[in-house]
Amino acid sequence: MEIIEEKQGYLSTFKLQGRLDSNTSQAFEKRLFDAMSDGAKNVIIDFKDLDYISSAGLRVILKATKALKREDGKILLCAMQDYVKEVFEIAGFDSFLPIVPTLDDARKGF
Amino acid sequence: MTDKTSLAFELKNSLAELSTLCEKLEGVGEALGLSRRCLFEVNLALDELFTNIISYGFDDQSEHIIRVCISSDDNLLTVVLEDDGIPFNPVERRSRKVSGELEQCKVGGLGIHLVKNLVDDVAYHRCGEKNVLTLKKVIEKS
Repeated sequence: MEIIEEKQGYLSTFKLQGRLDSNTSQAFEKRLFDAMSDGAKNVIIDFKDLDYISSAGLRVILKATKALKREDGKILLCAMQDYVKEVFEIAGFDSFLPIVPTLDDARKGF
Repeated sequence: MTDKTSLAFELKNSLAELSTLCEKLEGVGEALGLSRRCLFEVNLALDELFTNIISYGFDDQSEHIIRVCISSDDNLLTVVLEDDGIPFNPVERRSRKVSGELEQCKVGGLGIHLVKNLVDDVAYHRCGEKNVLTLKKVIEKS
């Protein structure tokens, strides 16, 4: 999996490419929490080029969402393939995680 | 693999084998003309079960083999996972309650909850010294 990170002040945007599973979730968790230690309060995760997610990936996103909430920060997810979005819905994560159609929509959210 | 054939392969008890699983399934998807969504759902269900097996199924440090057998009959895909680990029935574990609240949301049991929602049937049998999981999914073609 490739992770491209863009930083603008308190906002960090992560563009994910490939597969977020038990093999790659730890690396992503580290990048997310490093960004938060570096002062990121708001996070966008761009799923446009993400082909696959498993419960290991959901776990990292849940952990990051809870950590950001404690710091009064916010997380937004965008541009998911419909079958990736379905996983968030089955898990019930869509009820507390904002998922918007495009990266522009996500940027407007901050 | 055609409409009424099967494919069998073996995976070692290592997370790195998730890529092998993915490659094999892509071949199956192509041979059967599965839709991307259907292939994704089968891959995710097998990933969760495989990850479960290698995380909880073995109480030693030795290498183990998990056998995968995929067959199709018209519009039904059947996948059998077989391992020689300790008796472990993931299906029996109560599917977690989906909570709409962030603070109440726990991750335990999430994998098996996904499996139960992604395939049409999942069953566990202990056969001799082996755990056998059988998944059935109605095929959606592209």
